[in-house]
Parts: sequence; structure tokens; C-alpha cells
Amino acid sequence: MTSNALVAFEAISKAYGNGTRALTEVSFSVARGVIHAISGENGAGKSTLMKILFGLEQPSSGRLLLDGGVAEIRSPAAAVEQGIGMVHQHFTLVPSLTVAENIFLGQEQRSGIFVDREKTSRRVAALSKRFNLAVDPDARVSTLSVAAQQKVEILKALSRDIRLLILDEPTAVLSPPETEELFTRLRHLRDAGLTILFISHKLREVRALASHVTVLRAGRVVGDAQLADLDNDALSRLVMGGATSVARPVRASRSVGAPLVALKNVSQSRGRPGERVSNLDLTIYAGEVVGVAGVDGGGQQGLVALLSGRKAAESGTIVFGGRDMKSGSTRDWRSAGLAHLPADRHKDGSAMSMSLVDNAVAGAHRKPAYRMGALLDRRKMVEATRDMISEYGVRSPGPEAPLSALSGGNAQKLIAAREFASAPSFLIADEPTRGIDIAAAAFLHERMRNMAGTGVGILLVTSDLDELLTLSDRIVVMFGGRIVARFDTIDGLTPDRLGPFMLGLEETA
Amino acid sequence: MSRKALAPAIVTIVILAIVVITVMLPLALTTQDPVGVLETFLFGPFRNLRYLGNIVEMATPTMLCGLAVALMFRSGMFNLGVEGAFYLGGLGTVAAALLLPMPWWAAAPVALAAGAVIGSTVCVLPGVMRAHFDTSELVTSLMLNFVALFVGLFVLNYFLRDPAAGAMASYKIPLEAQLPRIVPGTRIHLGTVLALLACIGGAIYLFRTAGGFEARLVGSNPSFAAHLGLPLRRVMVRSAALGGLIAAFAGGIEMLGLYTRFSWQALPGTGWVGVTVAILARDNPLLLIPSALFLAYLQVGGDLVGRNFDVPIEGVGLINALVLLIATAAAIIRNPMLLRLVSGERSAGLTKSLPKAEAH
Repeated sequence: MTSNALVAFEAISKAYGNGTRALTEVSFSVARGVIHAISGENGAGKSTLMKILFGLEQPSSGRLLLDGGVAEIRSPAAAVEQGIGMVHQHFTLVPSLTVAENIFLGQEQRSGIFVDREKTSRRVAALSKRFNLAVDPDARVSTLSVAAQQKVEILKALSRDIRLLILDEPTAVLSPPETEELFTRLRHLRDAGLTILFISHKLREVRALASHVTVLRAGRVVGDAQLADLDNDALSRLVMGGATSVARPVRASRSVGAPLVALKNVSQSRGRPGERVSNLDLTIYAGEVVGVAGVDGGGQQGLVALLSGRKAAESGTIVFGGRDMKSGSTRDWRSAGLAHLPADRHKDGSAMSMSLVDNAVAGAHRKPAYRMGALLDRRKMVEATRDMISEYGVRSPGPEAPLSALSGGNAQKLIAAREFASAPSFLIADEPTRGIDIAAAAFLHERMRNMAGTGVGILLVTSDLDELLTLSDRIVVMFGGRIVARFDTIDGLTPDRLGPFMLGLEETA
Repeated sequence: MSRKALAPAIVTIVILAIVVITVMLPLALTTQDPVGVLETFLFGPFRNLRYLGNIVEMATPTMLCGLAVALMFRSGMFNLGVEGAFYLGGLGTVAAALLLPMPWWAAAPVALAAGAVIGSTVCVLPGVMRAHFDTSELVTSLMLNFVALFVGLFVLNYFLRDPAAGAMASYKIPLEAQLPRIVPGTRIHLGTVLALLACIGGAIYLFRTAGGFEARLVGSNPSFAAHLGLPLRRVMVRSAALGGLIAAFAGGIEMLGLYTRFSWQALPGTGWVGVTVAILARDNPLLLIPSALFLAYLQVGGDLVGRNFDVPIEGVGLINALVLLIATAAAIIRNPMLLRLVSGERSAGLTKSLPKAEAH
């Protein structure tokens, strides 16, 4: 086995300067001439490992073997020289150039000092014929569909005479028939002798395409086997991990009230794939926590965009607090009682360069409490911030310090303090504890439970299944922009049960 | 603590001194009287009241243009329409003073208001297009400056031109519309007071009003502002309108304060100096005052050297260019090591190599 290996990872570890360990002692090998899948959840270390293989990052320790010899890959150029090509999830094409120009960018076919367009086109035609990937060499990339652009990316990699092709989540941008076509092409390439590393968290696709799978979780290899030796349950257990159902803390009073937010047959087909949703039916009642599970791109972001006024629904009805909110703006949603903890707290949840005070009162700054005639009452704003800091236990150098001086957990606490201070009736908690320390997470969990106890309806979107099962009263699972499963009680529910739905292997709703 | 707060200012001042010396020293050494050149450049502007007056006169419009730029930059708009707004504001003010029949006491205020509104379009149009069509306000405002210039030349030539003037210039600005001089022996006029008040007002607006707070939020993170449900477009247009009004007002007071006829046949460049002033002041309205005065001091010193010695006046332009380069080079001005060194914070390497740092 090892003797036939094209690539072998030997005890590869990667730690970043800030102490994050992305990879720990990763060892496995990739056989020649096969399609080898690498699977795992977001943040499991798949991308970091591929970046190391492609020379974009260097391992902290461990070594990489190519053809049995130690290889040091210092840059993508070195990787290409070693015969490694990569197709990134986000394409790296120049939209205003033609297909041929893109493919030979950096290795232009010349005659004298001029670029030979004829020759370039001819070579592209030959290349696309050889690998059975039909593209028009003279079409501008900006005019091509996403699937066609992907073909160009693959051809671009193949034009460099590679023997190993890395594909990072290649199907994320494709429709099912396009995916099917891509798979056929990839099988052809494999039969022609190319080794393919296929990175995906969609287990159905892994099963359809690859012969061998390596599963990463939290930076470690947790599974490495022939797919023939694994059934679906075993596979999804490997990916989802050993998270078992945790003893649920009992909430003080759980009285579910009247319907608060109701979506009926809501669709939105524009935007990025993860933002598209179709035929959503969901009602959130006052005083309950509805958990939304799903892998990245399942449509949760679309749901949140609709419920926070960032996007209008194309069809269907959305009602919040008795008002029609189908095309309500963020301002409408907020004035009707929405509070929102966004998934990306740096991009959407705060202004890192502004002070704690500015961040803490933003949004509420037009309230009479902070006014002094035509001016803002800075003293009252500082006071309110001090109150939030002490109530939420935010560790900070002081209210006038910039938010960037705070750690992730403390920043998130301040953002939560701001959002919760608006006395909302409906809360969207999108990845509320991602990347923050356990104590801060526990604190926010308790706060949210108390809010639900006082009648606030909460939509909890999280990729942390323990968090989901701890906080939620009921759970819906989204995949491909639809709700594919509903669990009206979470008693006896385990991550194992959710896994197949989240990965699109099963469907009940 | 206070020393820590002052560190950025100290770094800025030291670097400015280095820039001035780097440019002026070699220039001075090429002349017969290097000491005289340096002395004139550095101390000449303080030698008599008239030169001091020149500094203040020159700083008045650039301070206002700087304020216009700062208010727009703070809200995330890189709107360079100040130059055109300044030009058109000057023309509009003169046109209103010449063409509108007014009682004497209303002449200056009405003319200034009319000029401000007319001139502000050069900033407002790019702002509106940015807010509603997501066009690059940088490009549109830059190009619109020239539209403003040629519209202005047309109006000057066909409606305001005094055939008796002997050159392309407007009729004389009526005396009652001119701004009173307030310091005898200089040409410092009422506009200077208005400019100082405007800078203070700008600081209050940005840091003490809901509107200014919203502008800062939009400028520092538009996604966050959208998340809060703030009306992004309205905030952007409001900032552009404020900036345009202020820049055009600057053009108006420049005309009524210092000129007797409108005769600009090219963009005067004051708006561009305003951009430098704003960048040097880090878009802080109160710091605009020293920053505008400093650039005016350099200009006056350079003019004196140019008049009295065989040194090209372009030397000052060179200094301005370097100042702009370095003021925008956040890597230098906000270098954490440099700031630590100046604020006297200890770190192992520093105390060793700089034992004097402890004495402070």
C-alpha cells in the first residue's frame, strides 16, 4: 500500500501563532490513480491540510512524502512543479479574459515577444479534446456558467501536466445534473491515470465518487478506510463525532405561547447557493427555542436573511407580530421586536475600531434615554455601557477602549448585551457561541434560556450539535434550501439521528 | 497615560520635522546662503504681522475644505468633489451677489447660501449615485470636478464677464457683499471665524449627535450599520450634502473675503489641499485647525524663500507631497513600536538600547 502511495502525510501538525491547533499528527496516504475523498465538518482541518499540500502553508511539524521521498513544498509554484494542481472552491479566473488566456495565464504561448493567440487557442482545443472537457477557447470567462468556469479551472490545472488534482468542495456551486456531469468527467480523468483528492462534507457525493475516504475531525484523522467497508451510519458517525446527547438542564418554566413568527411556503431563489430557500413552512411560538441544524450551505443563511429583513421573500407569506413582513426591511423587523446575534460578529455584529460605548448603544442611540436636547448624552451612554459590562461580566480595559481590544468571547458578550437590551420579542441567535470560550458560552446559554422563559421566541442556528440539543425545544433540519426533517421534541434525539438528514442522505419532511 | 494619548501626535510632529529638513536642507545647500534660506523658510513667516496674516488667510478655506473631506471620509465616502464644489461655490456666491437684488445686510449671507447650495451639487451628485446605483464616488466626483469647471467658465464668460476688466473676470463684487476684515494690518476676514466655528461644529456633529454617530457607524462598518437597520443611503447622501455645502461655502467666503472679482479660470486646488489637511488631521475636525495652519505656514515660508532666493518654489510642493505620502502611510504613523517608544512604555529591548527613556 505505502509503496504504491503517491502522497503520504506523516504526523503533520499545524499550530498558528495565536495558539490555535488546526491539525494534530495527521497521517494517511493517498494511493496512485484513485479518487480519494477527504471529509469532515467545517473547521475540521480539511482546507488547512490541502493548503499545506499545495504549498500555501507550511506544517509546524511532520513531513510530506511524494513518491516515497520527502518533499518540501514551499509555494504553489513548487507544488505545480511537483505535479500537483488545485481547483479552489472560489474560482481564481480573470472574468474579462478569454478561456484560453485564463488557462495559459502565466505560461503564455509566445512567438517572439508577442503572445500567440492562435497557438494558445489550438493548445486549449487539443487539451479539452484530450480530457473530454468541452469549452470554447475564445469565450470570455464572464459569459460562462459556473459549471463551465469550473471546467476551465480544471483544464487550467491539467494544462500544467499534473498527476494529482485537488478539488476543494467542487460541487458546492453546482446543480445536481452539473454535479453528475462533473463526476463522469472526474471518473474519466481517474481512468486516464490521474489521482484525485476530493474534499467534501457531502457524504452522498463522497460515496458516489470516491473509493477511499479519510475523515478529519478537530484536526485529527478519525477515520481512514475503503468506502466499501463503511455503511452510511458508520460514515456519518465518523463525521459528526462522538457528540452524544447531553443531559438537558431543565428550564424554569416552559410555557409556549402564541405564534410569533410564521412562514408559509416561502421561497427565495436569488443569491448565493446557501442563501436560497424553497417552500419553507415554519412557525416559531413565543417562549420556545427552535433549533436549526444543517451543514454549511443548507439554506440556514437564507432563512436568517429573510427573518432579519436582509432579503425579501419572492413568494409565500411571512408574518411577525401580526404584521406582514414578506418584504420588511431590517428596520421594520427591529422596530417590531427583533434582536439578532449575527454569525459573523466582526463583519455584521460590531464595529471593531469603534469604542465599547459606541458598540453598546448603536441602534438604540436615538432613544430618548440617550438624548440631551439635540445632542447625544455621552455620560448616559457611558453609564449604560458600564452597566452592561458589569452585568455581563465583560472583561475590558474600559468603556472607551476600542472593541478590538476585547477577546472574542468578551466581544460577543457585549454584542449580546446590546441586542438583549432592546427587550426583544424574537431573537435570532446565529452561531451564538462559535469560537468563544466555554464560560462565556455557558453564560450566553443561560441568558437565552431565561429569555425564552420570559416569553421570547428564539431561532437558534448552530453547527454545534451539543449546543443545539442543549438549548432547543424542537429542531428542524435544513438541506439544499429546504426543511428536510422536523423533530417536535428533542427527547432521545442524538447527533447520530440528525447526521443523515444534515448530510442529505435521508429526508422525512 | 496622557503621554500615551499624545504619542501619535508626537510621532506625527517628529516625522513632519524630518520631512521638512530632508527636502529643504539639500535645496538650501545649493544656494549661496544656505543658512539664510533655512532661516527664511522656518522663521520668515513669523517675522511680521502681514506674513502671519497670510498663514491664517491661506488656512481658512483649506480648513473648511478639510472639514468637508473629513465628514465624508468618516462616513466611508471617498468623495473628491470638494475641489469642484469649492470652485462652483465661489462662482455661485459671486453670481448671486451680482445678479440678485438684495438689501445691503442680506447681500453676504444670501450670496453665501446660494453659492453653497449651487456648489454642493458637485459632492451631492456622486453621493446620490453611490447610494442608489453603487457607482464609485471616487471616479464620478473626480470627473465631475471638470464638469463644474467648464460650466463655471461658461457662466463666467456669458453672464458675469465685465468687458471693461481687460481679462476674463466678473464684474466687481459689490462692496456690501464683501466680508469685513477683522485684524488691521492683515487681510484676515470674518470667514476665518466662521471656519473655526465650523470645525468646532463639525466635531460636535460627529461625536455628539445621532446623525454624526450614524455617519461614523456607516463609515467604519457598513455591514454593521445595515445589521442595525440604519438607513445607509440616507446617511451617505446626508454626508455628501454636508460636505458639499461646507466646501462650496469655503469657496464663497474665499471670494467675498479676499477677492474683488471672480477670475478663476482653472480649478484653484484648494480642495486638494483640503484633502491633505483632512488626512493629516486623521479626519478629526478639531485637528483640522492646526493641520491647516501648518500646511499654510509651509506654503508661506516657501513663497518667501522663492521670492528672496534662487530656490524653486516647487520645493514646497515636494514637501507637501512627502507629507501626504507619510501621513497616509499608516505603517509609519501608527507603527506600534514607534508609538511605544514615544509613549515611554518599557519593553526589554528598548530600555536596554535607550537608557534615557527612563528619565522621563
